[in-house]
Amino acid sequence: MMVFETKPRLNPTPVPAPTPQRAELWRVVVLNDPVNRMSYVVMVLRRVLGFEEERARRHMLEVHESGRSIVWTGTREQAEAHVFALQQWHLTAVIQPDHEAG
Amino acid sequence: MKQVEIKLNISAVAPLLDVIKQAADDLRGTLAIAATFPEEDADFTETWTQELMAAQNSDVRELLGLFGSDFFADGAISIDSNNCESLLRGCAALRIRILARWLQGVPAEIIEDEDAPVSEIPDELRLPFATYTFLDQIQKIILEHLNPAVAE
Repeated sequence: MMVFETKPRLNPTPVPAPTPQRAELWRVVVLNDPVNRMSYVVMVLRRVLGFEEERARRHMLEVHESGRSIVWTGTREQAEAHVFALQQWHLTAVIQPDHEAG
Repeated sequence: MKQVEIKLNISAVAPLLDVIKQAADDLRGTLAIAATFPEEDADFTETWTQELMAAQNSDVRELLGLFGSDFFADGAISIDSNNCESLLRGCAALRIRILARWLQGVPAEIIEDEDAPVSEIPDELRLPFATYTFLDQIQKIILEHLNPAVAE
Protein backbone atom coordinates (compact mmCIF):
# COMPACT_ATOMS: atom_id res chain seq x y z
CA MET A 1 0.00 0.00 0.00
CA MET A 2 1.33 3.30 -0.90
CA VAL A 3 0.85 6.19 1.42
CA PHE A 4 0.83 9.60 -0.01
CA GLU A 5 1.61 12.34 2.31
CA THR A 6 0.09 15.55 1.32
CA LYS A 7 1.16 18.97 2.29
CA PRO A 8 -0.55 22.17 1.69
CA ARG A 9 0.79 23.59 -1.47
CA LEU A 10 2.32 26.98 -1.10
CA ASN A 11 1.49 29.49 -3.65
CA PRO A 12 4.81 30.71 -4.87
CA THR A 13 5.24 34.40 -5.10
CA PRO A 14 4.93 35.24 -8.71
CA VAL A 15 8.27 36.10 -10.19
CA PRO A 16 8.01 38.72 -12.83
CA ALA A 17 9.37 37.71 -16.18
CA PRO A 18 12.69 39.37 -16.87
CA THR A 19 12.32 42.45 -18.94
CA PRO A 20 15.10 44.27 -20.70
CA GLN A 21 16.60 46.85 -18.38
CA ARG A 22 18.98 49.66 -19.06
CA ALA A 23 21.31 47.91 -16.60
CA GLU A 24 21.81 45.19 -19.16
CA LEU A 25 23.53 47.67 -21.38
CA TRP A 26 27.20 48.38 -20.89
CA ARG A 27 29.27 51.26 -22.04
CA VAL A 28 32.82 51.47 -23.24
CA VAL A 29 34.60 54.55 -21.92
CA VAL A 30 37.93 55.80 -23.26
CA LEU A 31 40.00 57.84 -20.81
CA ASN A 32 42.60 60.47 -21.59
CA ASP A 33 46.27 59.55 -21.57
CA PRO A 34 49.33 61.76 -21.80
CA VAL A 35 51.12 59.84 -24.54
CA ASN A 36 49.11 58.91 -27.59
CA ARG A 37 48.89 61.53 -30.30
CA MET A 38 45.46 62.68 -31.43
CA SER A 39 45.70 61.16 -34.91
CA TYR A 40 46.61 57.83 -33.32
CA VAL A 41 43.51 57.87 -31.11
CA VAL A 42 41.33 58.73 -34.11
CA MET A 43 42.83 55.89 -36.12
CA VAL A 44 42.30 53.40 -33.27
CA LEU A 45 38.67 54.41 -32.78
CA ARG A 46 38.08 53.98 -36.51
CA ARG A 47 39.78 50.59 -36.61
CA VAL A 48 38.27 49.12 -33.45
CA LEU A 49 34.78 50.63 -33.51
CA GLY A 50 34.36 51.25 -37.22
CA PHE A 51 33.74 54.98 -36.81
CA GLU A 52 33.84 57.44 -39.66
CA GLU A 53 36.65 59.99 -39.42
CA GLU A 54 34.36 62.77 -38.17
CA ARG A 55 32.81 60.70 -35.40
CA ALA A 56 36.18 59.34 -34.29
CA ARG A 57 37.58 62.88 -34.18
CA ARG A 58 34.62 64.07 -32.07
CA HIS A 59 35.22 61.35 -29.49
CA MET A 60 38.98 61.99 -29.51
CA LEU A 61 38.37 65.68 -28.79
CA GLU A 62 35.96 64.80 -25.99
CA VAL A 63 38.59 62.54 -24.44
CA HIS A 64 41.21 65.27 -24.85
CA GLU A 65 39.04 68.05 -23.39
CA SER A 66 36.88 66.25 -20.84
CA GLY A 67 39.18 63.38 -19.94
CA ARG A 68 36.75 60.70 -21.07
CA SER A 69 34.28 59.76 -23.75
CA ILE A 70 31.62 57.07 -23.95
CA VAL A 71 32.42 55.55 -27.30
CA TRP A 72 30.05 52.60 -27.41
CA THR A 73 27.03 51.14 -25.61
CA GLY A 74 25.60 47.66 -26.00
CA THR A 75 25.82 44.11 -24.72
CA ARG A 76 28.38 43.24 -22.10
CA GLU A 77 30.09 40.63 -24.25
CA GLN A 78 30.59 43.03 -27.11
CA ALA A 79 31.66 45.81 -24.74
CA GLU A 80 34.32 43.52 -23.29
CA ALA A 81 35.58 42.72 -26.78
CA HIS A 82 35.85 46.42 -27.60
CA VAL A 83 37.65 47.23 -24.34
CA PHE A 84 40.10 44.41 -24.94
CA ALA A 85 40.81 45.64 -28.48
CA LEU A 86 41.28 49.22 -27.27
CA GLN A 87 43.66 48.04 -24.54
CA GLN A 88 45.62 46.13 -27.18
CA TRP A 89 46.17 49.49 -28.86
CA HIS A 90 47.26 50.92 -25.48
CA LEU A 91 44.31 53.21 -24.99
CA THR A 92 42.95 53.39 -21.47
CA ALA A 93 39.46 51.96 -21.79
CA VAL A 94 37.01 50.71 -19.20
CA ILE A 95 33.60 49.03 -19.20
CA GLN A 96 30.76 50.38 -17.06
CA PRO A 97 27.09 49.57 -16.59
CA ASP A 98 25.13 52.05 -18.65
CA HIS A 99 23.10 53.21 -15.63
CA GLU A 100 26.16 54.55 -13.79
CA ALA A 101 26.44 58.28 -13.54
CA GLY A 102 29.09 59.94 -15.67
CA MET B 1 49.48 51.31 -47.31
CA LYS B 2 52.29 51.28 -49.81
CA GLN B 3 55.72 50.24 -48.66
CA VAL B 4 57.64 53.12 -47.14
CA GLU B 5 61.39 53.06 -46.68
CA ILE B 6 62.83 55.51 -44.18
CA LYS B 7 66.53 56.29 -44.23
CA LEU B 8 67.92 57.05 -40.81
CA ASN B 9 71.24 58.28 -39.55
CA ILE B 10 72.73 55.16 -37.97
CA SER B 11 75.00 56.99 -35.56
CA ALA B 12 72.12 59.16 -34.35
CA VAL B 13 69.71 56.26 -33.91
CA ALA B 14 72.11 53.71 -32.37
CA PRO B 15 72.11 55.31 -28.88
CA LEU B 16 68.32 55.45 -28.92
CA LEU B 17 68.18 51.71 -29.43
CA ASP B 18 69.70 51.19 -25.99
CA VAL B 19 66.77 53.02 -24.42
CA ILE B 20 64.31 51.13 -26.63
CA LYS B 21 65.82 47.81 -25.56
CA GLN B 22 65.67 48.72 -21.87
CA ALA B 23 62.03 49.73 -22.22
CA ALA B 24 61.34 46.55 -24.21
CA ASP B 25 62.91 44.49 -21.42
CA ASP B 26 60.59 46.15 -18.90
CA LEU B 27 57.61 45.34 -21.07
CA ARG B 28 58.36 41.63 -21.17
CA GLY B 29 56.81 41.29 -17.74
CA THR B 30 54.37 44.17 -17.51
CA LEU B 31 51.69 45.87 -19.55
CA ALA B 32 52.46 49.37 -20.76
CA ILE B 33 49.11 50.48 -19.35
CA ALA B 34 47.67 48.56 -16.44
CA ALA B 35 44.55 46.88 -17.74
CA THR B 36 41.21 47.28 -16.04
CA PHE B 37 39.12 44.18 -15.93
CA PRO B 38 35.42 43.94 -16.44
CA GLU B 39 35.07 40.90 -14.18
CA GLU B 40 36.42 40.05 -10.76
CA ASP B 41 37.24 36.53 -11.77
CA ALA B 42 40.85 35.45 -11.32
CA ASP B 43 40.89 33.12 -14.33
CA PHE B 44 39.26 35.69 -16.54
CA THR B 45 41.69 38.39 -15.39
CA GLU B 46 44.68 36.10 -15.91
CA THR B 47 43.60 35.16 -19.43
CA TRP B 48 42.88 38.79 -20.28
CA THR B 49 46.31 39.89 -19.03
CA GLN B 50 48.20 37.08 -20.71
CA GLU B 51 46.58 37.77 -24.06
CA LEU B 52 47.38 41.48 -23.80
CA MET B 53 50.97 40.64 -22.81
CA ALA B 54 51.39 38.28 -25.74
CA ALA B 55 50.08 40.88 -28.19
CA GLN B 56 52.24 43.60 -26.66
CA ASN B 57 55.39 41.48 -26.79
CA SER B 58 54.71 40.52 -30.38
CA ASP B 59 54.33 44.18 -31.35
CA VAL B 60 57.51 45.22 -29.54
CA ARG B 61 59.43 42.38 -31.20
CA GLU B 62 58.22 43.60 -34.58
CA LEU B 63 59.58 47.05 -33.80
CA LEU B 64 62.92 45.74 -32.54
CA GLY B 65 63.13 43.70 -35.73
CA LEU B 66 63.33 46.92 -37.75
CA PHE B 67 66.70 47.61 -36.19
CA GLY B 68 68.50 44.38 -36.94
CA SER B 69 71.65 43.82 -38.98
CA ASP B 70 70.01 45.12 -42.18
CA PHE B 71 69.45 48.48 -40.52
CA PHE B 72 73.11 48.74 -39.53
CA ALA B 73 74.08 47.98 -43.12
CA ASP B 74 72.20 50.82 -44.79
CA GLY B 75 70.28 52.76 -42.13
CA ALA B 76 66.94 51.95 -43.73
CA ILE B 77 63.75 50.69 -42.11
CA SER B 78 60.85 49.42 -44.14
CA ILE B 79 57.18 49.83 -43.24
CA ASP B 80 54.28 48.31 -45.13
CA SER B 81 50.72 47.14 -44.67
CA ASN B 82 51.91 43.91 -43.05
CA ASN B 83 53.78 45.50 -40.18
CA CYS B 84 52.36 49.03 -39.81
CA GLU B 85 49.68 48.26 -37.20
CA SER B 86 52.05 46.22 -35.10
CA LEU B 87 54.65 48.99 -35.31
CA LEU B 88 52.12 51.63 -34.28
CA ARG B 89 51.19 49.61 -31.20
CA GLY B 90 54.82 48.77 -30.43
CA CYS B 91 55.77 52.45 -30.56
CA ALA B 92 52.83 53.31 -28.29
CA ALA B 93 53.79 50.69 -25.71
CA LEU B 94 57.43 51.78 -25.69
CA ARG B 95 56.59 55.49 -25.46
CA ILE B 96 54.27 54.85 -22.51
CA ARG B 97 57.01 52.84 -20.79
CA ILE B 98 59.70 55.46 -21.50
CA LEU B 99 57.46 58.17 -20.08
CA ALA B 100 56.77 56.12 -16.95
CA ARG B 101 60.37 55.09 -16.37
CA TRP B 102 62.36 58.21 -17.26
CA LEU B 103 60.23 61.22 -18.05
CA GLN B 104 57.76 61.48 -15.18
CA GLY B 105 59.48 64.61 -13.89
CA VAL B 106 59.45 66.46 -17.20
CA PRO B 107 56.60 68.99 -17.50
CA ALA B 108 53.74 67.86 -19.76
CA GLU B 109 54.03 70.93 -22.00
CA ILE B 110 57.60 69.94 -22.87
CA ILE B 111 56.70 66.28 -23.37
CA GLU B 112 53.88 67.21 -25.72
CA ASP B 113 55.98 69.70 -27.71
CA GLU B 114 57.81 67.83 -30.44
CA ASP B 115 59.91 70.96 -31.06
CA ALA B 116 60.83 71.42 -27.39
CA PRO B 117 64.37 72.81 -27.08
CA VAL B 118 66.79 70.19 -25.81
CA SER B 119 68.17 72.73 -23.33
CA GLU B 120 64.96 72.39 -21.32
CA ILE B 121 65.58 68.70 -20.73
CA PRO B 122 67.98 67.67 -17.95
CA ASP B 123 71.15 66.08 -19.39
CA GLU B 124 70.46 62.61 -18.04
CA LEU B 125 66.99 62.57 -19.59
CA ARG B 126 67.91 63.77 -23.07
CA LEU B 127 68.45 60.31 -24.49
CA PRO B 128 65.12 58.92 -23.21
CA PHE B 129 63.40 62.09 -24.41
CA ALA B 130 65.00 61.80 -27.85
CA THR B 131 63.89 58.17 -28.00
CA TYR B 132 60.37 59.13 -26.96
CA THR B 133 60.28 61.73 -29.74
CA PHE B 134 61.87 59.37 -32.28
CA LEU B 135 59.16 56.75 -31.72
CA ASP B 136 56.54 59.46 -31.98
CA GLN B 137 57.94 60.45 -35.37
CA ILE B 138 57.80 56.87 -36.60
CA GLN B 139 54.14 56.75 -35.56
CA LYS B 140 53.50 60.06 -37.26
CA ILE B 141 54.98 58.86 -40.56
CA ILE B 142 52.93 55.65 -40.46
CA LEU B 143 49.72 57.53 -39.63
CA GLU B 144 50.31 60.00 -42.45
CA HIS B 145 50.72 57.16 -44.90
CA LEU B 146 47.67 55.33 -43.60
CA ASN B 147 45.58 58.46 -43.93
CA PRO B 148 47.17 61.24 -45.99
CA ALA B 149 44.45 63.65 -44.82
CA VAL B 150 45.74 63.42 -41.24
CA ALA B 151 46.95 66.74 -39.93
CA GLU B 152 47.62 67.66 -36.33
